[in-house]
Amino acid sequence: MLRYIARKAVGWFLMIAVATNLTYFLANAFLKPASNYTALRPPRTPAQINHSLSLYNLNPNKPILDRWWHWISGIVTHFDWGRSPTGGSVNDQVAYRIFVSGQLVLGSTILAIVIGVGLGVYTASRQYKAADRVWQGLSVLSFNTPSAVASLAVVLAAIALNQALGNTLLPVAGAQSPDVSGFWPVFASRATHAILPTISLTFISYAGYHLLQRSLLLDNINSDYVRTARAKGLTRKQAIYRHGLRTSIIPVATQVAFAMPALFTGAVITETVFAWHGMGEYFTKTISTNDVHGVVAVAAFGALMTAIGAILADLVVVALDPRIRVS
Amino acid sequence: MIEQRAVMTKPATQQPLLCVRDLKVAFPSESGRVDAVRGVSFDLHRGKTLGIVGESGSGKSVTSMAVMGLLPDYAAVTGSVTLGGENLLDLDDRRMSKVRGRRIGMIFQDPLSSLTPIFSIGSQIVEALQIHQDISSAAAWKRAVELLDLVGIPNPDRRAKGFPHEFSGGMRQRAVIAMAIANDPDLIIADEPTTALDVTVQAQILDVLRTAQRETGAAVIMITHDLGVVAGSADDVMVMYAGRAVERAGVDELFSRPRMPYTIGLMGAIPRLDDRDREALTPVQGTPPLLVDLPDACPFAARCPAVQDACREAEPDLLAIAGGGDVGGSEHSAACRRAAEIDDAAIGGEPIYPVPAERENRAAAVPREDRPKVLELSDVTKTFPLTKGGLLKRQVGTVFAVNGIDLDIREGETLGLVGESGCGKTTTLLEIMGLTPPERGAISVCGKDTAGLKREQDISAVRRDIQMVFQDPMGSLDPRMTVFDILAEPLRAVGERDRKTLSDKIADLMELVGLDPEHRDRFPAAFSGGQRQRIGIARALATKPRLLVLDEPVSALDVSVQAGVINLLNDLKAELGLSYLFVAHDLSVVCHISDRVAVMYLGRIVEIGDTDSVFDNPRHPYTKALLSAIPLPDPVAERTRERVLLKGDLPSPTDDRPGCRFVSRCPLHLTLSEPQQQKCRGVTPQLTGREDQDHLDACHFADLTASADN
Repeated sequence: MLRYIARKAVGWFLMIAVATNLTYFLANAFLKPASNYTALRPPRTPAQINHSLSLYNLNPNKPILDRWWHWISGIVTHFDWGRSPTGGSVNDQVAYRIFVSGQLVLGSTILAIVIGVGLGVYTASRQYKAADRVWQGLSVLSFNTPSAVASLAVVLAAIALNQALGNTLLPVAGAQSPDVSGFWPVFASRATHAILPTISLTFISYAGYHLLQRSLLLDNINSDYVRTARAKGLTRKQAIYRHGLRTSIIPVATQVAFAMPALFTGAVITETVFAWHGMGEYFTKTISTNDVHGVVAVAAFGALMTAIGAILADLVVVALDPRIRVS
Repeated sequence: MIEQRAVMTKPATQQPLLCVRDLKVAFPSESGRVDAVRGVSFDLHRGKTLGIVGESGSGKSVTSMAVMGLLPDYAAVTGSVTLGGENLLDLDDRRMSKVRGRRIGMIFQDPLSSLTPIFSIGSQIVEALQIHQDISSAAAWKRAVELLDLVGIPNPDRRAKGFPHEFSGGMRQRAVIAMAIANDPDLIIADEPTTALDVTVQAQILDVLRTAQRETGAAVIMITHDLGVVAGSADDVMVMYAGRAVERAGVDELFSRPRMPYTIGLMGAIPRLDDRDREALTPVQGTPPLLVDLPDACPFAARCPAVQDACREAEPDLLAIAGGGDVGGSEHSAACRRAAEIDDAAIGGEPIYPVPAERENRAAAVPREDRPKVLELSDVTKTFPLTKGGLLKRQVGTVFAVNGIDLDIREGETLGLVGESGCGKTTTLLEIMGLTPPERGAISVCGKDTAGLKREQDISAVRRDIQMVFQDPMGSLDPRMTVFDILAEPLRAVGERDRKTLSDKIADLMELVGLDPEHRDRFPAAFSGGQRQRIGIARALATKPRLLVLDEPVSALDVSVQAGVINLLNDLKAELGLSYLFVAHDLSVVCHISDRVAVMYLGRIVEIGDTDSVFDNPRHPYTKALLSAIPLPDPVAERTRERVLLKGDLPSPTDDRPGCRFVSRCPLHLTLSEPQQQKCRGVTPQLTGREDQDHLDACHFADLTASADN
């Protein structure tokens, strides 16, 4: 088993390395870091600009392979992912933003899975009854709600609530209040700030799990082995939970694992609406500011998340399904 | 061990264990209310076995599911099912779950899907035990291992930890039986327990069921479509048709003096190993009625050759027959107005089902040696690599799916190819139909060696001569093509373009296989299973082939329909001088239709020869075991018959070492002396002829028992 994981990890590591280096060359071909300086007043001469860029290993006049060597040796020796065209450290940005994104994504993912799978089981065992139809209707609605709409609706509702109460119960912007200090106050502030974006993210993502789990479980509820389980003396409900659910949850687990990378960098709109500075925002910002090193770091991070997701998916499937052999 | 209970000797004086009265089940459907079960009543005593026989849609499975309380919520169930004084239909799911598994155990049809794939076999039995008994996990596990041992699973200790996918079909069915008897139930319901299994495994499973019944003293409801299985295991038999019991009697009485024309039709429609002189089967015309808005008439009237006007006026009740024998303990009753007139399958000396006249086979007039060969296989071998690893696959072994087989088929002759699943029958067919040179050996079709077929035209010329009929009549016809298009396709493929000619040819083809040419614009869904198989045969005949390859052509059909298709095949052979390569697992069918038969085991032919010679005087121990495993639809013969029960399952054909492939399961091998045994293990037996001409076998010591047990 360990050998299998190690082999997989090596394979994925190579994949990440290839993807990252490829992105580096592509980003250098398309992005023009110099544009960050052309709008400055007083105008800089090209020589001045190039001089500034040289400081951050972005000088377009330097041969690309030289720049690449500088960049890659920085990563390998100091794990230094370079600097933005204006001198900011990519490492600092990413380290901070992963934390912010994680806070946003993990909570909503866990909630979405619990709610989605729970609803899937609940509605599948009541197929075509009123509860099934109502929940399914709601899920189809939420599934089709654009995240901007969901986020803004949540914001509007929260503002209305805050106004009705007369104080700011639920803050609608930022990841934490700027004026708190100390561990517990910061923790409390972060938690309250996370409530609204988590609700909006959960709302748009739970439906996928609900509909998937429902249809998978329905395939299994009428299967012969659930019938056998009932013939042994389990009630219908017990048979569904013990025999139907575990078999049908395997594909859902795989989907969750693979959804993680998309979640980390894909929550752009939610982050924007709630003014959170996470990886999603960084992703768009680095592209619009021609931040070559930032773009490459985001790509590398995405590849790493995919790798972790894939390995997790493998592990989950092996743990749940004895038919899968690892060799 | 399971607590032994005395089996009641005089059940008639006892209170019945299970008492079903006027059970009715209806389902809503798009076309209206489907009355799947329409008033079924029966009593069942401890230790007795009731066989319920009927074709698909007759309501036999629905009856058993109603007893188990496993029907979906939308089913409307009325009547009463009394088990030990309690009406099970009144219980809700929670209370019914105390009865299921504890007092009633159930065995299902498909062992491949009836075990949860992600739990070990042992833990599934432990669960069955712990639901109803308050025992520790360790004790339950020990008991589970004992149960597995009881149902004949070798190394139960180790195997209990195995998962369902590591078990063969027969082994899984044993595990299901172990689960069903885990709590020592009063009643075991077996719903087609052996239908999905090979005949040798079927014999083993029926044996295990008998053991289980003996150990628990339980009553058994045995649901099956196979009259042979019923004859061997039931005390009483109930024949169901269109949701009702149409005949009920003790097993001996029913088989010796059936009174209801449907029962008689069923018995006439099955090919029988023990009655080989019969030329043609008697099919029951038509199809069962749809169970929606049935009129008040005998539901069998439309198919009954002995129908009278009165039959269409009111549905007859199941009534006791005066003078009906009391042999098996229960009285003989039938739901037929004319039951009293019917005697020995005849009314007033006239058989109810006239035996259709068989056509003279012109080809058979010429001696076999003088007829041309339409197919010849010599030393044909097909292997598959066994690979390991994901990205970089490496070969770790070879599966010898077909391992050097020789056979030939002459004009106007049927060769039956039989063997258990996995023995290489289908691979052989695919090798033939591929029309490419085999890995080793040679295939020649109508005198042309496939190795010489290089050009497209050559291949299509040979392709015309050899056509195939498939097993599943639904899956092998495109549902979006009309019958006309289906039949026109092969004609167009061989260059027929003229619409008028096509139309005429298709009309001829449809008439040839007994379909109404008016129906040419219908889609396959509009036809019944038997009619679809006729379309499949017509399609194969479109190019006027000389050889038809038939892969299990009747195994998906009901018995009464199957007979019609078999008769059609026999007629076509006689009329068109066709040759057949007929692959089937049902030896009775093969025996009925074949002139010669080849028995395959693990990729090799172990016995080949004239059908009568092979079936009357089987020489290879495997052939003997196969033949003795077939249940005969004759209760007396079933009881007295000596069985050769094979142990275990088909091993996997991954080694090509010399030696007889059958050694691991051979009953004869065990009786041999050590040097003889060494010969079996070390020298591959070749097909050899003995005194009679057309009969070869591949066994070193076939002589030793040839006369002993026949």
